[in-house]
Formats: sequence, C-alpha cells, structure tokens
Amino acid sequence: MNRRHLLALPLALLAPRAVAQDGPILLRDLYNKDLSFSDAALSAEGGRLAVEGFMAPPLKADSVFFVLTKRPMAVCPFCEPGMPWPDDILAVYAKRIVDVVPFNVPIVVEGVLELGDEVDPELGFYSKVRLTDATFRRI
Amino acid sequence: MKQILLSTAAVLGLATVASAQDLPQAGSDWYQAAQDTIAERLAVQPNTATAKNVILFTADGNGVGTNYAIRLFSGQQEGGLGDEYVQPHETFPHVALVKTYSSNGQTPDSAPTAMAMNSGVKGKNGMINIMDTVAVEDCAAGADAGTKLFSEIATEMGKSVGVISTARITHATPAAVYARTVSRDWEDNSALPEGCEQKDIAAQLIDQMQAGVIDVAFGGGRAHFLPTDVTDVEGKTGKRTDGRNLVEEATGLGAQVVFGEEDFSALTAGNNAPILGLFEASHMKYEHDRTGEPSLAEMTEAAIEALSTNDEGFYLSIEAGRVDHANHEGNLYRVLADGKAFADAIAKAMELTNAEDTLIIVTADHEHAISFNGYCGRGSNIVGLCMEENEAGIEHNGTPNLGADGKPYTVAGYLNGAGSVLIEQADGTFSGSRPDLTEEEATDPDYLQQALIPMSSETHSGEDVAVFARGPWSHLFGGVIEQNVIFHVMNHAVTAE
Repeated sequence: MNRRHLLALPLALLAPRAVAQDGPILLRDLYNKDLSFSDAALSAEGGRLAVEGFMAPPLKADSVFFVLTKRPMAVCPFCEPGMPWPDDILAVYAKRIVDVVPFNVPIVVEGVLELGDEVDPELGFYSKVRLTDATFRRI
Repeated sequence: MKQILLSTAAVLGLATVASAQDLPQAGSDWYQAAQDTIAERLAVQPNTATAKNVILFTADGNGVGTNYAIRLFSGQQEGGLGDEYVQPHETFPHVALVKTYSSNGQTPDSAPTAMAMNSGVKGKNGMINIMDTVAVEDCAAGADAGTKLFSEIATEMGKSVGVISTARITHATPAAVYARTVSRDWEDNSALPEGCEQKDIAAQLIDQMQAGVIDVAFGGGRAHFLPTDVTDVEGKTGKRTDGRNLVEEATGLGAQVVFGEEDFSALTAGNNAPILGLFEASHMKYEHDRTGEPSLAEMTEAAIEALSTNDEGFYLSIEAGRVDHANHEGNLYRVLADGKAFADAIAKAMELTNAEDTLIIVTADHEHAISFNGYCGRGSNIVGLCMEENEAGIEHNGTPNLGADGKPYTVAGYLNGAGSVLIEQADGTFSGSRPDLTEEEATDPDYLQQALIPMSSETHSGEDVAVFARGPWSHLFGGVIEQNVIFHVMNHAVTAE
C-alpha cells in the first residue's frame, strides 16, 4: 500500500456528511457565473465536502498546501511571469504533506469547506474558498 | 477556355447554360447553389477607392484548422450540421493563404506576426516592431532599430486609431499597434532589466495616447498600469515598481478610463478625448466565463462609434486574444466560444461600416497544433465524438467510430499539450493509454481534447492561416502571401490616389 492509498482511505471510511449522495461535486459547481458562491457551496460550508478537480503544480515543496483548479493548469509560455491564478480555484490544506499528482490527472479532494477571504500567513496566498483537513485521491 | 465559357455564361445567364447542357444533376440544390456562387464571383469588381477606414481583425491562433472548427461550432449552435454554416468573413470576396513564419522561427509567436502586420516586415520571435538585425532583449541595440507603425502613418494622415484585445492590452498582438520592444514580456517596468532605457509596453501606450496616436484602447492588463501599492476595483494589486499610476496619468490626459461593464456602457463618444478600458487585472475572461465585462462585439461597436466621429477615418485593430489561450490549454470548447464571439464582432463591424470606403481584413497570426480525425459523419459535434457516417441518410448514425484500441475518439485533438494521454509516473517517466470517453464527457465545456506529446501547454504551429478581406484594395489579397504583405495592402489602400 503506497502513500496515495493511505490518503485515500479516510475518504471511504469517514462517510462525509455533506457529500452529495451521487458523489463529489465539480469545482466549478462551487461558483455561480458571476463568481459568487453557489447554493451548493453555501449549503456545504463548515461540513466535509468532496470536490473534483486538478492539482496545480504546488507552490512549495513538502507542503500541505496546494491549489485545486477546474481544468489542468496549463502554463502558457507567452503569458507573463507570475501569471495570476484563475478566479475560480480552491485552496486545499491537506492533513499530511502533499504527495504531488501531475497537473493533468483528475483528483477528488475531500475536506472541510471554508468560505470567505483569507490570506495564508506563510505563503501570502489569498483565497476565497478552502478545503481544510483534506485528503485526496486520483479518480 | 473554361474561363471564356463562364464569362459567356454571365452574359447569357447561367440558368440557360445549365438547361442547355441538360445535366441530370442541374435540379439539385447543390448545383443551384454553386451556380449562384459563380454568378456572385462574376459580379465581383475591384474597389480602387482610397480607404477611409481600415479594420484589422486578428483571432490569435485561429489558423485554417481552428477557423474550420469555429465554423462547425457556430453552425451546430444554431441547430445545423455545422459544415454548411458561413461565418461573416467567409462571405468576403477576397481570400489568400498567409505564411506566418518569423525571421528566426519556423513556428512564430504573436510578437513578430503582429509586427509583420503593423510594420510591413518580419521580425524575430519575442520582439515587437524591432528590426531583426537586433538580438532579442538587446536593449541598447533595439533603441535604434524600431520600425514606423501603421498606426503612426494613419495618425499622420489625420486618422484616429483604436486597439482592442480580449487579452491584456499590453500583450503582443495589441502592443504591436503602438509599441516597439526588444522583449514582448516587458509589459510593465518591473520586467525591464537594470539599466535598460527602453520604456515598458504599458508606458508606451500612455505615451502614444499623449502623442495623439492611440485614441481608443480596450482590453485587459490593468495590473501593468498600476503600482504595487494600489489595489484595483476588483481587489487586485498593480505590478509597477516605479510608482507610476498610468491610469491616473491617462485621466490627466483627459482620457475616459473605464474598468467594467457598467462604466463601459456609460462611455460618451464624440468629445475627441482618448478612451482607455481596462476590464481585468490580466486577460479578459473567456467568452464562456464572461461576467461584468463587455463582449468583443460590444467593444467593437463602441470603438467604431467613437472613431467614426473623425471625418478623416480610422485604423482599428481588433484581436480575439483568447482563442489562442484556450488552444494552449487544449480546451476546444473555449476556443470555439471565443471564436464565435470573434465572428460576432466581425458581423458588427460589417453592419456599422460601408464596404465602399472601409477595408476590413480578417486573419490570424498563427495556427496551433490542433488536428482533425476522420471519418466522421455529418453533424458530429465538433467538440464531441467522431460518429459513423449514415449510409442511408445525411446525419451521422449516433455510433462512435472506434480506434484500433476499441475506444471512441473526438473529431478534433491536439498533437501536444495538457490533454496528453501520456501521464507522468512517479519515477518521472511518461506512459498511459487513451481513456475511454463518452459523448457527454467530450462535450463538457471543461474537457481537454486528447493530445499526444505531453506538455504543460499546447504549442503554436507554423501552418498557414487565411486572410479574408472586403473593401478598397481587398483584391490585392490572393494566392499564398507572406504575412507582412498585409501591412502593404493596408498602406496602399489608405494612400492610393
């Protein structure tokens, strides 16, 4: 059993209360078109939620933090250095140091949904929505 | 001989010839439509009037292949099979194929391609409006190697100039309308190397506004105009480290400056003041995700309305900048939605101008590594699976064609990019196989078409693009031309006596 399997275990065992019966929601479903939070996000706030997306290349090695994007975070070679993140992302704080998954492999992340502006004190990363105490697995 | 026959047909009437030949297929709709096309072509006359206005439409990354996909997407959005759909620019009378390579790149980026169109000469990848005798990022040499721009020529003729992009207004294609730089990445001062005297691209835009060259500029890229200690209307900080607030400087020049859909709607034209619209900190949103920002067609309409107040005419460059970005992502749905928004902007420009005095050119700067599979039946969703042909009818039979691996495949794909079927493994090697795929998955707006070579971003390609034109001197387009010829057609059209 490798690390990824270990990380995946809690997802099966915990039976998260806020996860829809028909499985994880898509990252885009947390937002309305005008980038306000969707009813699905508002109703799940504070509970455990499973969200499907892609792990952007982590900002820092050996960290519990990564960003979930709705599509693979392709890096445009002609885009400016330090290109800003898309507006509709999800900041993830994992239970354990992140075992990096390639940026174009779909994953499901499960954690406690937090809404509202926050700046990471260590990374300075600004987020509007987060999953904390999270685990993840490849789909 | 054939040409003589066709000319005779024009005199006698095509229907007469058809019936005289008594062809069994003459009653077919296909036959009649083709006869109508011939009649239209015979009626085309060169327009040798001096062009009062020139509008250059560029969809970044919209080569012949991407344009084909946009056509099918637009047609299918209207409920058709797609192939038969005609985009606005596809009605233009004059068309050529365009060779897009740059001075030093078999595959170009958007800097030298935009330079070719705005300066009339090819340049090196990464540089804008700097002669190719200079090395990329050679700040000192670049200072004496700048070209004169079509916008400056138009200004000297008394014309107004506008520039629009859905990318950052400091990005390569729009920058080539007003700036000269040895690096396309120097969008604000923070990117300039120490000791380099060249001004950054955003600062050059304000200079050109002050000089009376640029009258209207709409796009993204707000962060390049604001200092790091200033937060914009959407809570994002600026990038400038020289303390300059170019938004305030523009306002000081008397410019109307707007940041969103609401103040954009309140713009007033006709007071001869410059207009600057900066609708995002970085690029504007994809059309599929657009909220709180004007569409490309709306920006086109506002620009034409403002520029038309000058009796001497105008030059307007309009870029759909994010067709390219979605191609880089390998996300065909957004490519095509932005492509349709581009076509809508062209339709708006056609509606608001007269072909007698306005030269409209529609082109792309380069193509991408997009490719198309076969053999798909008609009506196969351009973003979906390639369906079998229906031998008993017209529209596909609903059964996906399968590869030798027994799995369906999409109509379009990419040779490289984030959608690669080869996935990085824990040991750093790449391996994998094509995932199974349903029509529902493939047509999801967030789906990435399958690709071959793994890359973090899909690439441009050196394949030809098309140029479509109507209006004065548009008949100078024909055959296979070098990209820098586009400038020369524009220049001839505005200066022809």
